[in-house]
Amino acid sequence: MKAAVLREQNKPMEIEEVQISKPGPREVLVRPIAAGVCHSDLHFLDGSYPYMLPTILGHESAGVVEEVGKDVTYVKKGDHVITCLSAFCGHCNKCLTGHLSLCQSPEVSRAPEVESRLSIGGETVHQFLNLSSFAELMLIHEHALVKVREDMPMDRAALIGCSTTTGVGAVFHTAGVEPGSIVAVIGCGGVGLAAINGAAIAGASMVIAVDMVDSKLELAKAVGATHTINARSGNAVGEVLELTKGGCDYTFEAIGLKATAEQAFQMLCSGGTATIIGMIPVGTMVELHGVDFLMEKKIQGSNMGSNRFRIDMPRFVDFYLSGKLHLDQMISKHIKLADVNTALHALKSGEEARHVIMFDQ
Amino acid sequence: MATERIKSEITGTVWKILLAEGDAIQVESELMILESMKMEIPVESTVSGRIQTILVAPGDAVDEDQDLAIIELD
Repeated sequence: MKAAVLREQNKPMEIEEVQISKPGPREVLVRPIAAGVCHSDLHFLDGSYPYMLPTILGHESAGVVEEVGKDVTYVKKGDHVITCLSAFCGHCNKCLTGHLSLCQSPEVSRAPEVESRLSIGGETVHQFLNLSSFAELMLIHEHALVKVREDMPMDRAALIGCSTTTGVGAVFHTAGVEPGSIVAVIGCGGVGLAAINGAAIAGASMVIAVDMVDSKLELAKAVGATHTINARSGNAVGEVLELTKGGCDYTFEAIGLKATAEQAFQMLCSGGTATIIGMIPVGTMVELHGVDFLMEKKIQGSNMGSNRFRIDMPRFVDFYLSGKLHLDQMISKHIKLADVNTALHALKSGEEARHVIMFDQ
Repeated sequence: MATERIKSEITGTVWKILLAEGDAIQVESELMILESMKMEIPVESTVSGRIQTILVAPGDAVDEDQDLAIIELD
């Protein structure tokens, strides 16, 4: 099969012929139909998050089951599925207490002494987040996918595989936004827009979108923002505090920067909660004013929207098909696998929402 | 002999150790792979020298800033 292989950080990926192993007992071979190109892929491409190389990036996809391992009963050949990097073992402390997205069990990947799922001429290709979706085939653990209804368009379904689940999940699960709340979201990329959409679905009375790109702020309005602030003014915190007359109940940071994480905390009213969704580079420290804790302000992280994706994703599909979840506007372009480097470059510029790779059928 | 300790930048689990005690190692050479939140994260040496002691084993849980290995400097 062909895949986009990353051999060196900050260098373009090359389309190479890659060998894929046969499904093990609990593995599923998936033929992706669509794969989103996500900003998180960029973090690994530019090295702000280290990863073993060579690897095949991509972690947001939807496709069709091609073959299943002998112990797999959940899906069969032909089923439509969304993949998810939050593969869960189902029996560790995190899974059994309902925190499946925090499962750290290594059993959803192959052990180091076993043949790797992906290779090139005998050289191991490290599977990215147990998925690697910039490829014509994916071999994944059965707990890394969910069945979805077949009337769901695959390109929209792919987005649910990461950005939607991360943004909407942060609002629903991590923060638990109540109807009537005042919400601000910093960063209007795919995840931030999903958080804005989620806050609107949750019934927030005010949803403030903060970004530095006007076209993204327009998109934010289309998916549920009631107010927008262009942070180029240099005083986004002040503007939010003025607009809200004292701060937000909930803020969400969807960029991954120290400065914006600190701003998310500064935008809170007393008792408010800041949720950091963005991937802040390894080694970066975040500074807060200690006295603010006397006002019961809280700050927390969110990983993949604290998802229970086998429950969440089919619901998000229903939300889309019933008009509540706005995914059409999230896709700026459909591309071929060979154009993946261009798509990542466009993400870096911050001007576009999301490119989705469509695989040949 | 001067030594340097290689530390973990992140909380995770030791997935695979790529070199052995006594092996020569260069700056930015990969020493081991940690797994954290489904990510395979390489641990690279910050110095050149010879691996004196590896302080962890596959499957061990490690904390941020924990010593992973001791390198004898060239």
